[in-house]
Amino acid sequence: MVTMNSEADKTQATNATLAMSSAEKQPAAESTSPLPKSPPATAAAAAVAVTTECSAPAAASLPPVPVPAAAPAPAPATTQTSVPTPAPEALANGNSNANIEEVVVAIASTGAGATVNGGSVAVAGGVVTSVAAATPPPSAKTVNVRDTTTSAGVSGSSASKSSGLLTVSSNHHHHHHHQQSSSSSSQQQQQQQAAPSTVVVQSSSQHQRNNKNEDAPNILVYKKMEAIIEKMQAESTGVAVRTVKAFMSKVPSVFTGADLVAWILKNFDVEDVTEALHFAHLLSSHGYIFPIDDHALTVKNDGTFYRFQTPYFWPSNCWEPENTDYAVYLCKRTMQNKTRLELADYEAENLAKLQKMFSRKWEFIFMQAESQSKVAKKRDKLERKVLDSQERAFWDVHRPMPGCVNTTEIDIKKAYRRGGSSHGTGSSGASVAKNPVEQLSRIIALRKQKLERRTIKVSKAAEALVAYYDQYNEFDYFITSPELPNPWQTDSTEMWDTEKNSKEVPVRRVKRWAFSLRELLNDAIGRDQFTKFLEKEYSGENLKFWESVQEMKALPQSEIKEAIHKIWQEFLAPDAPCPVNVDSKSVELAREAVNSPNGPNRWCFDVAASHVYHLMKSDSYSRYLRSDMYKDYLNCSRKKIKSIPNLFGVKR
Amino acid sequence: MPKIDPETQALYDEINGMIQKFKDDQKAKADCTLADKCGDMSDVTKIRFNSKKILKGHINKVNSVHFAGDSRHCVTGSLDGKLIIWDTWTANKVQIIPLRSAWVMTVAFSPSGNFVACGGMDNACTVYDVNNRDASGVAKMVRELVGYEGFLSSCRFLDDGHLITGSGDMKICHWDLEKGVKTMDFNGHAGDIAGLSLSPDMQTYITGSVDKTAKLWDVREEGHKQMFFGHDMDVSSVCYHPNGMGFASCSEDQTARLYDLRSDQQIGQYEPPQKNTGFTSCALSTSGRYLMCGGIEGMVHSWDTMKQRHTGTLSGHENRITCISLCPNGMCLASTSWDQQVRLWL
Repeated sequence: MVTMNSEADKTQATNATLAMSSAEKQPAAESTSPLPKSPPATAAAAAVAVTTECSAPAAASLPPVPVPAAAPAPAPATTQTSVPTPAPEALANGNSNANIEEVVVAIASTGAGATVNGGSVAVAGGVVTSVAAATPPPSAKTVNVRDTTTSAGVSGSSASKSSGLLTVSSNHHHHHHHQQSSSSSSQQQQQQQAAPSTVVVQSSSQHQRNNKNEDAPNILVYKKMEAIIEKMQAESTGVAVRTVKAFMSKVPSVFTGADLVAWILKNFDVEDVTEALHFAHLLSSHGYIFPIDDHALTVKNDGTFYRFQTPYFWPSNCWEPENTDYAVYLCKRTMQNKTRLELADYEAENLAKLQKMFSRKWEFIFMQAESQSKVAKKRDKLERKVLDSQERAFWDVHRPMPGCVNTTEIDIKKAYRRGGSSHGTGSSGASVAKNPVEQLSRIIALRKQKLERRTIKVSKAAEALVAYYDQYNEFDYFITSPELPNPWQTDSTEMWDTEKNSKEVPVRRVKRWAFSLRELLNDAIGRDQFTKFLEKEYSGENLKFWESVQEMKALPQSEIKEAIHKIWQEFLAPDAPCPVNVDSKSVELAREAVNSPNGPNRWCFDVAASHVYHLMKSDSYSRYLRSDMYKDYLNCSRKKIKSIPNLFGVKR
Repeated sequence: MPKIDPETQALYDEINGMIQKFKDDQKAKADCTLADKCGDMSDVTKIRFNSKKILKGHINKVNSVHFAGDSRHCVTGSLDGKLIIWDTWTANKVQIIPLRSAWVMTVAFSPSGNFVACGGMDNACTVYDVNNRDASGVAKMVRELVGYEGFLSSCRFLDDGHLITGSGDMKICHWDLEKGVKTMDFNGHAGDIAGLSLSPDMQTYITGSVDKTAKLWDVREEGHKQMFFGHDMDVSSVCYHPNGMGFASCSEDQTARLYDLRSDQQIGQYEPPQKNTGFTSCALSTSGRYLMCGGIEGMVHSWDTMKQRHTGTLSGHENRITCISLCPNGMCLASTSWDQQVRLWL
């Protein structure tokens, strides 16, 4: 269908999604499989991507870096191990060990080829199921079982006490590849209940995403962004991630904004630094990359350090974190190293609010925060830094600091339009006319109208605007302050009281009457004055007629007919008591309308009324403005208020 | 894609030809730019409004605000399922009207101050009489206007007896409130209608839509009189220029624009200094010199419409601004936000 929208479509769309899709010029880098670092020799086909210096799982000081595996279809399994596990003794409640075992069972059974997640996994070829038992950062219910609620008996609530990051995701088409790895990792898990270590087994290049998410609002954008992020994380061709030595300490796994921008410029078809920055900003505002010590998610082209977010926290996982989770997180922050992780002002405010809101279950929140904090303390220092910052960035996305855009929250109207509501479909469900020819002809007819319309030049339009401004700037409160105290700022209602009292009309207001007849009639006192003037001139019926027509138009339908007849009788009928001076053509039109077979409608006198209005405007009104009556009134009010304050030096 | 038959193709070609013609036509008329024309005008100062009052009471996102004709009272609607009528001078609540459906998207005060209307995801428009109470002591519901197939996105009173609504089912409806009947009902746009603004003389109105266009309508007729293009994304709100010869619009495409009815084209374009926010709602000052737009990042941006300069932001809200409304005498701006607050700026 061609509508005029096409005009708009043709214009360069600058929005992010398009830019991204068109920007990729680098061919999808086949990820090589460098150092296999997963403990047991995993499946032969497993493309294992390791991003940096560590090769042993124990040394995993890295964030759980997403695996940039654009692995070929038959063997998309990559296994990556990192991040130590929860210390079980830190687990808050007793049955948590059992939970871990349950998880382990789940892993084992996945490995054994029994699709743990039942039917849900098998929805489509290559669908990735993920059983994510996560560190509590985002949620009290840390075990996040996406896809099915029944997975392997891992119940959210019971597992919530396990603070280890255990993410197992496997492509069910390839479980046999995993068999070894997952089962061995589960063994590891069992063995290491005392010695902390976490297993992140991530399989396939697709990140944990389930079918439900496919409909998620921004999923297309997320997918594109994630593809780009993967490229950025490619070992040799990506952005260089370093561990920087600072005074007395190390800053692990970071890159600078300048590096990032340079990389974007090199790898994508972007015009200049500004565009690259904007692009980086978009990635950042969605939380894929974040500055390591700032709550504002944006990218600067300088030496500021940034870090990649772990895929677990990516917005494509459709997080809808609750306030309780946020409360736990904030509470935990207060327990950590005070100087370094001090809450920002807005966070402190939020914490206070939440504490008020959850006063009853605050003890529970506090306990949870405490246990998480204990677990955190057991971790390697560098790794803790990374995890803390990733968690913070997660909340910066979902509970942004004031003045930042929350990219994950969507406008309810949009949600509705996508058909997310059962109430209706919005415009998406509306049908276009069935017959394209008919539709197009109609469009053409409308367009013809547009072509035939006489338009004025822009210069004229601009002049009109300027003239209007010149006339009205002293009534624009943005530009000129009112003479009388402002009722919003003071308790005085003087300003309003004055308006009611016709003896003291400010000169500004009286001046305004001279702008146009409409202004005069809009002002009650002005209208009053004008009526008096017309009476003196013996032409009061014109205004009366016009007023009664306006009043009639506002009447309810039931009273319209009667009112119309009254007006007709009084002003227009041949023997009317106060006839108005209207040309015969308008009277004829009115007569037809009044006597129309369908009954008169409220607009039947419009032609006559506008005729009268113009008459008043060109004749009586200009005479009124020249009259002594108006001048006296103007002078009278001028005497009272000497000058109009011009506080802001705006030229009039 | 089915094969396009020659007849249709011819029509397409004709339309495209016409579009080209419009463009040439517009170019021919665009003998200068507004900014050029206004180059010698004195600059206006940075907007000097401050957040003077915060109206507290809503406990969920506030979606809409509208002033009554007296410039003193305003009504706000929130997802907490309440309409609150405020006395903006004192910041006191005058009335709280509990709604049947909490999903209110738009509210309107009649110019006389006698009625308020609201509607939203309940696919209906409800009108309350502010001066009459029902048995339980809340404002009496006088009309429930149903029959929409999409959510109500905008409504405005012509007077106490007549209401115009725009809705998510792309329709514009005219209602006679006395009888509670629809007097007109027609497809207005090729997408959800998002905003509606009545002309100062109440004879015409402008609608803005998700189909990226704005249209001019006569209150008496069904067909649109003019159509305006330019925005790259949903037009979220429109606002008539007080001189009745033009209007401002704002959009998610991070721009606001000024259109002129008589020259039938866009004459101004306004962008935030950092392109970081789409806009949800717009308003023009009494002289038309200042344009204000509420942004999804929580700021109200203002521009000098003439010289097309950004003249500052009003900051205070902590989340998306959903609606702004300037009171009829132009002294006070109200804004509503997802942060549950209503703020008054003056």
